[in-house]
Amino acid sequence: MQNLEPYWGRRALDFVDAIEASKTTACVISQFERMIGHFGFHAYIMAGIPTSGQSLEKLTIASGWPAEWFELYSRENLSAVDPIPRHCFNTLNPFEWRDAPYDREHDQPAHRVMTRARDFRFHEGFCIPIHYDDATGAISIAGERPDLDPEIKSALHLMSVFTYGRLRTLSRPNPVTTDRRLSATEAEVLRWAARGKTAWETSRILHISERNVRWHLEEAQRKMMTKNKTATVAMAIVNREILL
Amino acid sequence: MPEIHVVRKDNRHLYESYFDPYFRLRHNIYVKQRKWMALDRPDGREIDQFDTEDAVYLFCIDDGQLIGAMRAVPTLSPTLMSDIFPYLNIRGQIRRPDVYELSRIFVIPERRGEHAGPRVEMLLLTAIMEYGVSIGLTGFTIVLESWWLPRFQRYGWKAHPLGLPQTIDGMSVLAVLVDCDDATWMSLCQQIGLTEPTLTWRGLLAIDRLALPDISTLHPTSVQPAR
Repeated sequence: MQNLEPYWGRRALDFVDAIEASKTTACVISQFERMIGHFGFHAYIMAGIPTSGQSLEKLTIASGWPAEWFELYSRENLSAVDPIPRHCFNTLNPFEWRDAPYDREHDQPAHRVMTRARDFRFHEGFCIPIHYDDATGAISIAGERPDLDPEIKSALHLMSVFTYGRLRTLSRPNPVTTDRRLSATEAEVLRWAARGKTAWETSRILHISERNVRWHLEEAQRKMMTKNKTATVAMAIVNREILL
Repeated sequence: MPEIHVVRKDNRHLYESYFDPYFRLRHNIYVKQRKWMALDRPDGREIDQFDTEDAVYLFCIDDGQLIGAMRAVPTLSPTLMSDIFPYLNIRGQIRRPDVYELSRIFVIPERRGEHAGPRVEMLLLTAIMEYGVSIGLTGFTIVLESWWLPRFQRYGWKAHPLGLPQTIDGMSVLAVLVDCDDATWMSLCQQIGLTEPTLTWRGLLAIDRLALPDISTLHPTSVQPAR
């Protein structure tokens, strides 16, 4: 655990400094690709993990997957059966792909994803889960024979998290072109929720019952296929269904 | 809304009745739930060598009940990072009057992830910035579980790593230095919809405090959506 000469530690800290000073996503990405390439990784993805109805494409922050794999993965909705994103929901720590558990005999879909990934020279991989209150994402990197020495994994962990954070900061949320689906009242209720009002407070402001407010929130949540109020508000903002 | 009280040696006598429940809560959370067995004590209280008279506590009190807390220890004194986990910091020890180390940041389980009113953990993170800005601190060191990093980034806390993450008792942990400045405090206030300072300084009127920037006209910004 203690290293006399923390070589990769220093390299990782220098990398983070460089990333934090970079002004464009292209610049951040090229440094990241060079860095993981150095350790024998040739592919990566940084994305939110899609839950029902969400598309991987919209949740992707950066993709260094072969286009063909990305296309196949999205089209067949493989994130629903892939043991790697699934394991992200069960752990706070980074893990090697081989340590993501699945039943090799009975879980055929999971096994198929892992096998098909090998066609793209994804023989081994390393995954860093990203947990927010209302969403889970991951940084996943793969290669044929990458260097997975414990100290290098630590360095990759640190560098990847800061790359992810920097890319999020640099990329403005892109307006998603979806049809407006919310009713005027639902949008109004969400706008107040976005300003931190509780259902009770909103009911006072709009002169409707608290029960009514909750019902509109539920409806909005159902339409947007989100899990809770925070996520609904976030999604409504991203989709420009409400403006603040 | 819960109140956040600054508790330090100068006004500790006003909060004596909170300390016993406070140390018991720490025992429940860190020893019983999180199994940090090195902290176990037979009396059911979790008190360590950094609970000195120089420690500053933020107590989050709602209706007379302690629902969350945070501890700040001057880096001129021994800290978790300097004494227990020195190998997490390879940038060189930080011992400065304007940097405090944060630890034992918790919210009781029944008050986590609330959707009515600001979340208690966000209130605490905002309050400690207010404290730092008020007394002229420029940063906080923290030994934290690595999974907090993306959250910090999302909240606008600027964390600078001090070394590589290491696995300790099965959990990835690292050392960071977080900037303490007006901008971070204001951005947090904006995110949770605060338009006035939140700290209660009972019995601390003699302390010199710097003026805080005006936040009365801040409007809530759009929440950064998860992607």
